[in-house]
Amino acid sequence: MSNVVLKDVHKQYQHTKVLTGIDMNIEDGEFVTLLGPSGCGKSTILRILSGLTDATGGTVMIDGKDMKNTPPKNRKVGMVFQSYALFPNMTVYENVAFGLKMHKKPVNEVAERVGRMLELVGLQEKKGAYPHELSGGQQQRVALARSLVVRPKVLLLDEPLSALDAQIRKHLQVELRTIQRELNMTMILVTHDQEEAMSVSDRIFVMNNGKIAQAGTPSEIYTQPKTEFVANFIGRYNVFSKEQLEKLFGTNIAISAHKYAIRPESIHLQSRVSSYPLRALAGDSVMNGNVIRTTFHAGDKSFTAEQLHHRASAFERGTEYQLFVEPEDVIALS
Amino acid sequence: MKKFTIVMLILIGVYLALPIFATALYAFSTEWNKTILPEGLTFEWIRTLFQDTRFVEAFGRSVLLSGGAVLLSILFIVPAIFVIVLYFPSFEKWFQASVVMVYAFPGIILSVGLIRFYSGTSLPMILAVLGVYVISVLPYIYQGTRNSLRNVQGRQLMDAAELLGASKIEAFRKVLLPAVYPGLFVAALLSFSVLFGEFVLINLVVGSRFETVQIYLMSKLSTSGHIASAIVFVYIVLMGILTLVMAIVTKKAKGMTRA
Repeated sequence: MSNVVLKDVHKQYQHTKVLTGIDMNIEDGEFVTLLGPSGCGKSTILRILSGLTDATGGTVMIDGKDMKNTPPKNRKVGMVFQSYALFPNMTVYENVAFGLKMHKKPVNEVAERVGRMLELVGLQEKKGAYPHELSGGQQQRVALARSLVVRPKVLLLDEPLSALDAQIRKHLQVELRTIQRELNMTMILVTHDQEEAMSVSDRIFVMNNGKIAQAGTPSEIYTQPKTEFVANFIGRYNVFSKEQLEKLFGTNIAISAHKYAIRPESIHLQSRVSSYPLRALAGDSVMNGNVIRTTFHAGDKSFTAEQLHHRASAFERGTEYQLFVEPEDVIALS
Repeated sequence: MKKFTIVMLILIGVYLALPIFATALYAFSTEWNKTILPEGLTFEWIRTLFQDTRFVEAFGRSVLLSGGAVLLSILFIVPAIFVIVLYFPSFEKWFQASVVMVYAFPGIILSVGLIRFYSGTSLPMILAVLGVYVISVLPYIYQGTRNSLRNVQGRQLMDAAELLGASKIEAFRKVLLPAVYPGLFVAALLSFSVLFGEFVLINLVVGSRFETVQIYLMSKLSTSGHIASAIVFVYIVLMGILTLVMAIVTKKAKGMTRA
């Protein structure tokens, strides 16, 4: 049985359409990410799921139950906000215990579950501290513990890591995934960070202009983008028109499409029997961690190629190279 | 240039503080008519003031009237501000227009309007004044409450509390109200101090039938300068205490919301 189902969900504010025909099936224990640029409607989906905002049309079901007219407090949905939304007048312990107290749990049970949850997020030492005495990462862990302690059926994460610095963010991404697997909980993450989506998700829904542009596993989304938007958003794909590509390769392309995408790392120096050849002039190279990204120019078209760092010396600025692309790496876009 | 600024600031400070200091000194002086400084110091005027039941009663009336108006504002206006700011922000412009209107009516026009409108009714005029006081502190209550709500991201706190199982009333009572309490408290103190010093409306509409500290002060101005100075001194001390409390609460509130 699907844990979370959205059927033809619409949302409109006066004359502005925010969501159009959203369909989703999210399985029990799945970690799903809604990925898209700011204003594409991903946070609105979370608010509709939580009951904080009503959909203009469509159906929302959690555990097979239609959520229409079910108030937020009865949906058994937890939510972690970007700004943490910790209660400033309560200590860490009181923040985490709040939900259990609202559910009228006995004092012993509250103490036991809060203690266990603080242990899970590594904040036992800070249980007496107030939110303003904690770092951003610690505050976000408290927010996570506070949402998890009431054992929600679904946990919604609205850009929970975006306010944190890169190192803490990466650490918490791993922690989040570990906790999700440990508890086997359905989690829906909203982010505009492609790397974050790729590293934590079972499935990704890429969104654009209030619609789902593509859904699939991180691997599917990365290797088989369906549209130019997804290709550009999810990776640094090189997008060509049919004419540009045929001119570049000097041959006809077998698959007919309006546009084509080629991943930067698919452009290489080694020739194979079926490879498409292309000649281009090397431009600037930029180091990005263990990857070197080089811009090439062929006529009026520029594109990028990526290599692992130890091979980077192969491309020298101002030198013309014979490059190759495999036919299976040329992705037709709709 | 820096020296000039400092000298100017000192001169302005002296210019502003001198009347207050002189008034306070006069409240403690035995005689101060022909000399530069008082001939002697005494607590006589302060003692006389607090022994005068008229003053104590006037003080009580001022506290009752100002405090009552602030309390009513908190009971009726604050919930409205909460609902509008959190759930109907598009209506906020109407609230802001009402706030401006409070400033638009001079006291004298307001007094004449009140007398003409309510004098023929059975409503005691003091209640009409109380009603005006409740509305006249709207700017302070509105700004204080709204700023506090925005500072603590009130809507998100309500959402978070509701998702954790609280009803709207529980979320308001257990989460939002304590979170915005410092701001609300400061707004209430500010409103109280403004109403405590109000003279025009109460004097014109009710006059000596409901003697407040300000009316009592007016009557003493023509009989004893020392007593009048003592009243002003007590008033300044009260305002000083209120300001100090506001500063402490504001500092605490800033610490609480710092992330």
